[in-house]
This record gives sequence, structure tokens and C-alpha cells, in this order.
Amino acid sequence: MAYQLDNRPLDLRERFYFPEVIRGIGTLAGHFLRNLFFSRDANPDILARPRGLGYSDNVTLQYPEEKAPYPPGYRGLHRLVPREDGSPRCVACYMCATACPAQCIYIEAAEVPGDPIEKYPAKFVIDELRCVVCGFCVEACPKDAIRMDTGEHAPPSLERVHQLLDEKALLRGPAVSYLSDPWLRRPAPSIPAEALAAMTASARPYPDASDEYAQTPGFSVKALAAEARERAERAGTP
Amino acid sequence: MKRFFGMSLTLALLVGFLVLLSAGFYWAAAGLGWGFNALSISFGWNPPGTVSTAAVSYGAAVGNLLTLMMVVLMISGSMLTVAERKWSALLQNRIGANRITVGGNPLGGIPYLLADALKMLTKEAAAPDVRNRLLFELAPVLAFAPVFCLFAIVPVGPAVDLGNFFGVAAAGKSVSLQVAQIDAGLLYLFAIASLSVYGTSLAGWASNNKLALLGGVRAASQMISYEVSMGVSLVGTMMAYRTLRLEEMVVAQGAPVLGGFPALGLLLQPIGFLIFFTSGFAETKRAPFDLPEGESEIVGYFIEYSGMKFGMMFLAEFLEIAVFAGVITAIFLGGWHPLVFEETLRQNLQPIWFAAVCGGAFLVKMILLMWLQLVIRWLLPRFRYDQVQKLCWKILLPASLVNVFVTGAAILIDPSLQLLAWIGLGTIIVIGVLVGASGRQAAATDGHAAHGAAHAGGH
Repeated sequence: MAYQLDNRPLDLRERFYFPEVIRGIGTLAGHFLRNLFFSRDANPDILARPRGLGYSDNVTLQYPEEKAPYPPGYRGLHRLVPREDGSPRCVACYMCATACPAQCIYIEAAEVPGDPIEKYPAKFVIDELRCVVCGFCVEACPKDAIRMDTGEHAPPSLERVHQLLDEKALLRGPAVSYLSDPWLRRPAPSIPAEALAAMTASARPYPDASDEYAQTPGFSVKALAAEARERAERAGTP
Repeated sequence: MKRFFGMSLTLALLVGFLVLLSAGFYWAAAGLGWGFNALSISFGWNPPGTVSTAAVSYGAAVGNLLTLMMVVLMISGSMLTVAERKWSALLQNRIGANRITVGGNPLGGIPYLLADALKMLTKEAAAPDVRNRLLFELAPVLAFAPVFCLFAIVPVGPAVDLGNFFGVAAAGKSVSLQVAQIDAGLLYLFAIASLSVYGTSLAGWASNNKLALLGGVRAASQMISYEVSMGVSLVGTMMAYRTLRLEEMVVAQGAPVLGGFPALGLLLQPIGFLIFFTSGFAETKRAPFDLPEGESEIVGYFIEYSGMKFGMMFLAEFLEIAVFAGVITAIFLGGWHPLVFEETLRQNLQPIWFAAVCGGAFLVKMILLMWLQLVIRWLLPRFRYDQVQKLCWKILLPASLVNVFVTGAAILIDPSLQLLAWIGLGTIIVIGVLVGASGRQAAATDGHAAHGAAHAGGH
């Protein structure tokens, strides 16, 4: 948070220099004693840690052991959203691969055996090294089949090939079904009847706000507009 | 709360350990003194049954050399390398070095000492071809040795009669925790302290490197400048205690003045203390006086040194802190006087244990002063070069000269030091008022702050 510094020249007492040095020693000694005698709060939300007498001033997060959680809406590693039966929702339409500005998505489509209409991705490979984490693939997907809601960043690896995630690695996370899914509206021969009934039972009418990919906290057009209006008002009044 | 009690317990145990340690030092000094006496008798240099002063003091000096210089000084110097990290971390709200653990416990970063030593000793010693070989190899020693020698005159503990250790047969001779009791005292201090400039300037010269030379020249000019104010700042103390010997100064500081309050150097010579502290700080070449190093502009006089040769220079700096803390404790903070409950302790404890408590008190004060030096090192940014010289020649030197004249006049008018103590008390009160007076109002009201925030956002 920005705050204004009062940058006026030193007064006579401050130009003596020594008194201010002694004061500085006092300030540092206060920090030292608090940090020496009181233990660090490990709360990853550092601003929420208690402050004042009786508490350490420490702001450290011991990284590999303690991690600050990513905010909701963080674009992490991709995943292919599964259906309830474990197969991907993806229908291999190539929309994401087309939208991708980094051209990091490679798809090979195949026909579902015994189904005259439906396709599935026989190969779905994302090169996480080429990915620019723009999220266009998620936006482009008409079936809500690819998401970036894993909350993980690309893991380090010693070999490039380990950053190529194929459909087996990508297919994970909670399953999703919508009532508008064509394979629910039209009895698909590839899905057994009882499985279809279960999927229909758990299907939702449309993506709701509890889907993390659907909301982007801190990016609300309404809030931004209100903030801009407020700023303009404040700038207008002296 | 757990940490609070743990830390309090640790600190209490540390004080107790220091007392036990100095008791051990006394026994080492007395034992070696007694042993040397026995040796001199067995060699036939002294008649049997006598106790020779020379043999006892020689043995005690050897004992103190081993305990005070090898144990106290070396350990505090090397522990300061850890403290530099850990204490600076605590000052800056960080955790500090804690990744080397012993059984899952970082032990306050102390295991890093081992890692550092291993690294320093096993590093490749790369040296420039164009160096001046003799001086290049000699410089780390010249930087290290004078600092080490300085501790010889620091009185860590009072004199104790040898009879307390070995019965009446040995009575009449005393041992104290001080390597050398020499008449020159402070003069020795100045002489040896000014020798350490050779190490740094020769390191700069012999490396045949422009940056190193620059660092060496800066070090030389800075250290020679501050020698002057350092010397003059102690003249007042010499006059007030009428001695050059540090052990006599410490004894004199136990005398009551101003209604029973001991005549501490800090009380009699507050200005002298400030000047000596500042000048001594400049002598240690650490921030804010770290222009000879100035790692962000020139890497400094040791730029071409690697491995343990660099380690020697590095360690010399920390030893200088420890020695300097010891000297200030002896001259200004009442040396080994515990200051609290001193009479009670003296009457109720055996002489050896009273002396051990005194030695512990000295070590505690020394640790506090080392801490203070580290705090100042992390508090202030580096001075500009002209500021360093201006501070010395235009502020500290005139102030110390005035201090000399005022002290002289006060002692001339009132030889019992009462007047000097009143002047000192007045000075301390003035300094306290200056420190306590709040200069600057807390920056701005809420509306201003919000306005500033809006502006910052707008830009």
C-alpha cells in the first residue's frame, strides 16, 4: 500500500545525528527482543499474523515446508475434466488447440467405438514448457473439458520430456456433468444405462459460481469501475 | 510462551555457564602458576618451599593465554560469524540460518560454524600471478596478529590470592584473569591497534589490483585518522583514574562517587565513551565505516584473497569486535565489577567464586557490547567518504579535545571526581533528553494518506 513520505529537511536535533542513532538502536533492539523471546506464527497469511507486544515480528514463510496457498482463480497446471465414468469430457473438437497462442496443445481425435457421433481424444498432449498460461484454452472449450484449477504450478524436472503431459497425466480431479451434455440428452451407446442414470442424477444445470475456474477474484468489472469512480472523486476534491 | 521460557532459561544458563567458565579459567591460571613454581623448584632455580612471584605470574600468564585468548577470544570471534547472521535476522524480522540441523534442531545456527570452517579450509587458494608474493602471504597474518595481541591487556577477572587455591603455603601471591599486566597499558593498546593498518594496506598493495589498492588506501587513511580521536578520547579517562593500566582502571571504577554510585567510566566520561566507541567502530572497518570493503562499489582490500587467507581477514574483523568490546567494558563499563549486589556477593561468597562471578559479569558485558556493535552495523548505511573524514576531523577530534580540557579543569577544581561525575551526569541527561524528544510528527492524517495512495495509484 502506498503512503506518502514527509520528506522535509532535517531539523536541528536530527542534525546532531547521535540522538537519532541511539533511537534507531532502540527500535532495532525492540525487534530483536520480540523476535528472540516470542515464537513465529506459521500462518501463511502473513498480514493476519498477530502483532505487538508478546508476538514475534517475523514475516518469514519457511518455503518448502510451508506454502502460501494460491488465490482462487490461479491458473495452475491444466487438467482434463473427467466424466463420472472416468472418461474425459473432451470431445476432441480442436477448439483449444486452435485458440492456443503458443500452440502447445496437440490432439489426435478418434471415434468412440459403437457410437456414430461421438469423438474422443486418442492423444491429448500439452507441452507445459511452451504454455504461456494465458487460459485461452479454458475459455475456448465448449464442453468445460479443460480447466486450469489444479492450484499447482508446473513442477521442476530434469528432462524436457517430463513437461509433456499426455491425456493420462492430464485426466484427473473431480468429475463434472451438466444437464446440457449431449451424451446425457441423447442416450449414448458407449455409456451403459445405469452409469448414464447416475451421471444424470449428479448433473448440474450449468456451471455455477462454486466452480473456481468460473470466477476470477480481484477482477470484477463492477469493482474496478467503482474504484476508478472513487479515485476520480478523491482527485477532484483537494 | 514456550519459546519465552525456553529463551529465558537459555540466557540464565548462559550466565551460569560463563561464571563456571571463569571459575575454570581461574583454576587453570592458578594451577599453571603453581605448576610452574614447582617446576622452577625442581630445576633448582628457587629454593624448596618458597613461592616465586615470577614463576607464578609466568604460569598464570601462560594459563590465561590459553584460556582467554585461545578460548574466549577465538570462540567469541568465530561465534560472531554465526551471530552476524542470526542476530541480523532477528533484527530484520527474519529467521536466519537454520538449514543445517543436528537431529532436526538448528541449534541457533551454530552448526554453520563447522560448515564455514570446512568451506574456508578446503577452498582453492587462487592467487594472482602478479602479486608481491611475500607481502601477499604476510598481509593476513599482519591483519590477524595485532588484533589477537590486543586482548593480552584486557583484565577479565580480579586478582585472587593463590592461597585460596592451594592453601596457606601459597598465600601472598595472586593470579588474575589477565594475560599481561604492563605499565604501558593503554599505550600498548594504541601501539598495537595502529599496527593492524599494515595488514589491510599491505593486502591492498600486494594484490596488484586496482580495487584492492583503493580499498587498502581507504583503510589506511580511515584508520590513521581515527587513531587520533581514539587516542585523545581516552586521555580524560587516564586523567580521571590516574593510571594507564587497565586493571587499575577497573579497580578504580568500583569506588563510590555521587552517593555510592560507582565511578564508572560511562558516568565520568560519557563524551569520551561516545567518541571512543565511534572511533573504535571505525577501526573495525565495519558498516557504517566499511569503505575499505565497500562490497557494492569496490570489493575491498581482500578482493584477491581466497580460502583461509580471506578467512583470516574476515575473522580478524570479528576478533576486533570482541577485543574492542572487552576494552570498552574494562574502561567504561566497570570491567569485572558485577555492579549489582557486589558487596553482598563479596561477603557471602568464597574469594574464588566471587572472582568467578566477576569474570562472568565481564563476559556478559562483553557479549552485550558485541551485540550493540552488531546492531549498529545493521542499523546504519555506509557513510560517504567525505562524511567519514569530516566526522573524524571536524566533529570527533574537536569534541575529544574539549573533553580533555573540561575533564582536566574538573579534576583540577575537585580531585575527588565529584564535579566530574556531576558533569557526566548532566551530559547523560542532556543526551537522554535529545534522544527522547520527539522531532518529527507522525507523518499525516488519514485523509492525507488516502490522498497519497490515490496519487500513487494515478501515476
